[in-house]
Amino acid sequence: MNRRLALTIAVLALLSARRAAAQEMSIGYQGLPYKATGESPTGINLGEGVLMHVGLGAEAGYDSNVFYGSSSIPGAVIGSGILRFSGYGEVTNASRNGTVPGLSYDVRAGLTYRRYLSDNVYVKNYDNAWMPSAGLSLGTSAGTWTFALSDSFLRQEDPPYQTTGLARSVSPISRDNNLATLQAQWMPGGGRITGTLRYTNSIDLFEANSGYSYANSLTHTFTLDVSWKWLPKTALFVQANQGYVSYLNTNSEGKVPSYPLRIIAGLRGLITPKLQAVVSLGYVNAFYSSGATTGGFWGSTYVDVQGIINPTMLSRLTVGYHQDFQNSIISNFYYQYSVYASWVQQIAGRLSLDLSGRYSHNSYRGLLFDTTQSRSDNSFLAGATLDYFIRNWIYAGVGYSFTANVSDYHLPNAMGMPDPAKPVDYLKNQVFARLGVTY
Amino acid sequence: MARKTKLILTTALLASGLVAHGGAGAAPSAAAPNQADIAVKQRSNLTAPEMVKQGNEYFKGMNDTVKRITDLKNQAQRQKDIIRLNCVNDKLVQAKVNITIGEQAMSSLQESISRADEGGRTHEFTRLTIVNQKVQVLGAEAENCIGEDLSFVGATRVDVEVDPNLPTVDVTQPAAPQIDTARPPPASQG
Repeated sequence: MNRRLALTIAVLALLSARRAAAQEMSIGYQGLPYKATGESPTGINLGEGVLMHVGLGAEAGYDSNVFYGSSSIPGAVIGSGILRFSGYGEVTNASRNGTVPGLSYDVRAGLTYRRYLSDNVYVKNYDNAWMPSAGLSLGTSAGTWTFALSDSFLRQEDPPYQTTGLARSVSPISRDNNLATLQAQWMPGGGRITGTLRYTNSIDLFEANSGYSYANSLTHTFTLDVSWKWLPKTALFVQANQGYVSYLNTNSEGKVPSYPLRIIAGLRGLITPKLQAVVSLGYVNAFYSSGATTGGFWGSTYVDVQGIINPTMLSRLTVGYHQDFQNSIISNFYYQYSVYASWVQQIAGRLSLDLSGRYSHNSYRGLLFDTTQSRSDNSFLAGATLDYFIRNWIYAGVGYSFTANVSDYHLPNAMGMPDPAKPVDYLKNQVFARLGVTY
Repeated sequence: MARKTKLILTTALLASGLVAHGGAGAAPSAAAPNQADIAVKQRSNLTAPEMVKQGNEYFKGMNDTVKRITDLKNQAQRQKDIIRLNCVNDKLVQAKVNITIGEQAMSSLQESISRADEGGRTHEFTRLTIVNQKVQVLGAEAENCIGEDLSFVGATRVDVEVDPNLPTVDVTQPAAPQIDTARPPPASQG
């Protein structure tokens, strides 16, 4: 693939607020990268077999709705100029052309700083945010058995919702995530059969006063995946996931542990040289220890269908549908039905265009703070970026992000009744101009 | 089987030579030049000792030829030239067979001399002469054996062309887990 398009796709595949399912598809506006793409022969040689990648980026733009307020409430929608700076450093023993030795490592650290520029008294409470990230991965790539260990950390900080009140004492929504993975993979003989055993440990913490610390959780997930490559780049697979979700704080709010199970079978890989697909069906069950849990035919059905088409070497179209349940912060869980699409196009050898969008219908079960209503949210997400590659490692561009929620739900008042003054609908637009260097 | 055929043919050729030359008792000097087998020159003036001496010289020449063919065979083996090796080997085998026939003829020649058998002596000498010529021809053919170098067009080279549209990563691998970066939805906390 053309180097610049590969860089674009790799950049777009990195840090993103929303990931679709299947093969790590990112939807919506893609921020600046937090690690090297591995697609370009860049990097600084620190010594024999040690390569360092660095990146810097800056974005300047406007956010139309800092607090995700509803337009039906006067004064709820507050806009602000926004600046965002990010930088990262990464050390690896992978070579510039991407080849890795038998034992590979990759260590990275990054930092993002976000600043709101508005003089609005409420915005100024949240004008600075520091969001570090870090990661480590070790792996072996030779032999019948391969092993991999990885760990990623990310801190996110966002202003609170307008509906929760904008008094100076309300803290931002600050969230720390750590994801560790240990994987063993067995590929006997010619590698047509692959067995993967993976353990994933996830710690999800909301910092004190963020309003969500009751949902601090620890998740263990075991995954067994067996695939058979009936064609060189196409595999049939069967996968089983068993998880255990527990909560770290005494839960008067009603969050209960669960044992999510997913058993999936399907196909993934190339259908033709230009068409890549994932088609999988499965059975799911959340096994919540109390309260609402998954059930019924559609509620127990997992569907993941994705098609990636490369009409030319310079373009890529992705469409997909995903159906599953997700553990929820505000309820036991929600059923999620989503469709998404993405188009990436390189133009005239230096311009890269990315358009993406997703619609998701989330149907909540077992709401924690309101037993009088049901809740369904219709979430819309869209993004566009246009980047000009001055060189393979430096680019400048513009971006647009659209986020919206349309819901039948209103937060309850003190009496426990739906409060018309507290809708959860919002519409948010962001525009950015950006400059990035990834070497 | 091919070797047997060649042996039979050689013997037949020798026999036809004998018939052409009138067999035992024919005086060499009596054969008219225009009726003689042009493949063999009759030396009616050779005495018995001269025939033995000539025979020994034939054997020296034939052994030199076989040695040369053996050298060519070894050379082909070192070069791993299978085609040339087969060709030279074939000539070597024929040459050795002819030498064996020549040794029998030499032995018979000496018996004929001891018995004062003029016709037998001439016959055996003729056989020896023909065998010597055959071996020389085989030697020349071995020198002209064609090997792989004339038909060889080069080592086999395999060029693999990968469709640039194909993804460089393994798309059959299960997707890796990712950190959840979704913003939590708004909710009243009790």
